[in-house]
Amino acid sequence: MLEAQALHKRYGDTEALRGVSLTVRPGEMFGFVGANGAGKTTTMRIVMGVLEADSGELSWQGQPLTYETRRGFGYMPEERGLYQKMKVAEQVDYFGRLHGMSRPAAKSATDELVERLGLTERRDDTVDSLSLGNQQRVQLAVALVHRPTVLILDEPFSGLDPIAVDALAEALAERCAAGVPVIFSSHQLELVDRLCDSVGIISAGRMVAGGPVEEVRAREGRRLLKVVVRDATPGWADGLPGEVSTENGRHVLLAPDGDDQAILRAAVQAGTVEHFGWQQPTLTEIFREAVA
Amino acid sequence: MSNVWLVARREIAVRGRTKGFLIGLLVSALLVVALAFIPKLLGGNDSYTVGVVGAGSAGFETAVKPLAEAEQAEVAFRKLPDEAAARAALADGDLDAAVLDGTKLLADGEVSQQLGLFLQSAHRALQTEERLRAAGLDPGKVTEAMRVPPLTEVSVSTVAGDAGVRAGIATLIVLVLFFLLISSVTSVAMGVVEEKGSRIVELLLTSIRPWQLLGGKIIGLGALGLVNLLVVIVAGLGASLVTGLATDLPPGITGIAISAVIWFLLGYAFFSAMAAAFGALVSRQEDVSSVLTPMTTLLMATYLVAFYAVTDPSGSVARTLSLIPPFSSMVMPVRMAVGEVQLWEIALAGGLMIVAVVLVLLAGARIYQRAVLRTGARVRLSDVMR
Ligand SMILES: Nc1ncnc2c1ncn2[C@@H]1O[C@H](COP(=O)(O)OP(=O)(O)OP(=O)(O)O)[C@@H](O)[C@H]1O
Ligand SMILES: [Mg+2]
Repeated sequence: MLEAQALHKRYGDTEALRGVSLTVRPGEMFGFVGANGAGKTTTMRIVMGVLEADSGELSWQGQPLTYETRRGFGYMPEERGLYQKMKVAEQVDYFGRLHGMSRPAAKSATDELVERLGLTERRDDTVDSLSLGNQQRVQLAVALVHRPTVLILDEPFSGLDPIAVDALAEALAERCAAGVPVIFSSHQLELVDRLCDSVGIISAGRMVAGGPVEEVRAREGRRLLKVVVRDATPGWADGLPGEVSTENGRHVLLAPDGDDQAILRAAVQAGTVEHFGWQQPTLTEIFREAVA
Repeated sequence: MSNVWLVARREIAVRGRTKGFLIGLLVSALLVVALAFIPKLLGGNDSYTVGVVGAGSAGFETAVKPLAEAEQAEVAFRKLPDEAAARAALADGDLDAAVLDGTKLLADGEVSQQLGLFLQSAHRALQTEERLRAAGLDPGKVTEAMRVPPLTEVSVSTVAGDAGVRAGIATLIVLVLFFLLISSVTSVAMGVVEEKGSRIVELLLTSIRPWQLLGGKIIGLGALGLVNLLVVIVAGLGASLVTGLATDLPPGITGIAISAVIWFLLGYAFFSAMAAAFGALVSRQEDVSSVLTPMTTLLMATYLVAFYAVTDPSGSVARTLSLIPPFSSMVMPVRMAVGEVQLWEIALAGGLMIVAVVLVLLAGARIYQRAVLRTGARVRLSDVMR
């Protein structure tokens, strides 16, 4: 289990982190979301030891994080960095070796990753001749090559085409299934909703919501009852909770908690009911509310 | 430690196959070879052909022979029927000079200095002998009296060999050391900035320690500099063997070359640690040269005093600076090439330089470690020195 406790960090006058805590269990995919400047990158850099926190604790499997433990982690920094003049496979292999892999182990891991990330044809091209998205695949390969014990990825999906997004999602899911905790930050909330077991929402250096996605949804989100009525008599919903709007000539009622059966009866009397059901809030809605 | 080698190997593999490095290697080797050929081209040739015309010119051959042998030159003589034939041969370049009736010396322009000396000395000897005989002295005695042994050359120091050649070698050492130092050391700084600017350092430092990254880079690029130096030495010595210049090289040239290599390594360690520390302060290649100014100034100063030391190797300035790091890294090899250096001086200079190298490496690694992750604006030295 990877844990961060009450991380604080200030840059001069800006308080970037004001007590950030998070927990990621083995095999859990953790989505880290928050507005620009909320403190995601700062948190991840502190976890990786690239930046020092002013205060706070970090632990992995109950032990304080050390340099040696972190060497086993895989990291994709926000600011991508590769040797531009090095060849793709050569570079992935080099990072494998730097993480302490033997020559044959690094070679086979490189071959496998290059293949699976669709870089086989570009393996002997220098990085600077690749498109941005392909460079990002190399960056990911570099983060994955040494079979990391923990994965920390700062906006790994930005700039990828849908095919690459799927390839990356699959690669991450596979690592997760192998028991590796994965943390990634993203602004693509539908993606986070689709992939993650748990989320953390950070706002202005504080965690404002976090935990398993369903719990967060249940705790933070208000579910809404949605009723769509065709040919409805005007004013039918007066006195009922919620608000009515008109869409394509149909009345749409969105109601917070209330007596759903009473609402259904009123709707049936008012016209033809086309839709009736409870709506789960999307992560985007939860996010908007949490950071508001 | 294995990480240091991994980093060093990468530097060698990547930098070693760049055009810049290969061109530098080729150009420096060619320059040294050219230098070895210049004496042959200018002072040229020490084999001559001299034409002789008329009876009075006889005896030149026997008189010139011992003189030429002493100087390791070759003079061939050719008999010609008359002055016109001599003039034609001179104009065609078949002859270097022609002696006419033992009274005139013909040449196309001026006779080369060495050949002129041979012929004039021979002439003087022949004429003296002739006149003494004419004065009625016993020809046997005259010949006996004329056989004067040359002055024996004895060097008052342990230094052997031509002082001019030694100064030339010292100059060459200064030039080669300077250019190799400045290019290797600049590529260390460029490499540091490249990694910092591209943010790859953030990734690297999650898998290896800063000192391993820095050490590997310094060792790798130093190895390339060393290869370049060895190529220069081999090319230079090889070319001087081919051109025959090698016979003029002073004894102990191997020792001089070895000391140049050792001093190069010490100087490189010193300046590259400085370059890495300064380089780590900036994030953009454009800022490298300005941030390196203090280091380049020191290197230039070392270069200039070393040049001065070539002209006055035993003066007190050269003697003092040959002990003080980092000046010793260039002044000491100069002094060792040009003249006599006491063993204790070498030991002291070496010891002080090693101490300085260790201190600069420690300080450099510390600055590097603190500055290299601070991307963005230029980091102030005072911020990372505390
Ligand atoms: N090197 C720095 N110097 C000064 N302030 C910084 C520095 N790095 C980050 N900050 C500040 O810290 C705060 C958090 O930044 P951080 O990069 O962690 O945000 P983020 O959540 O990753 O944002 P984004 O989604 O834009 O990547 C911001 O207010 C930012 O301005
Ligand atoms: Mg960020």
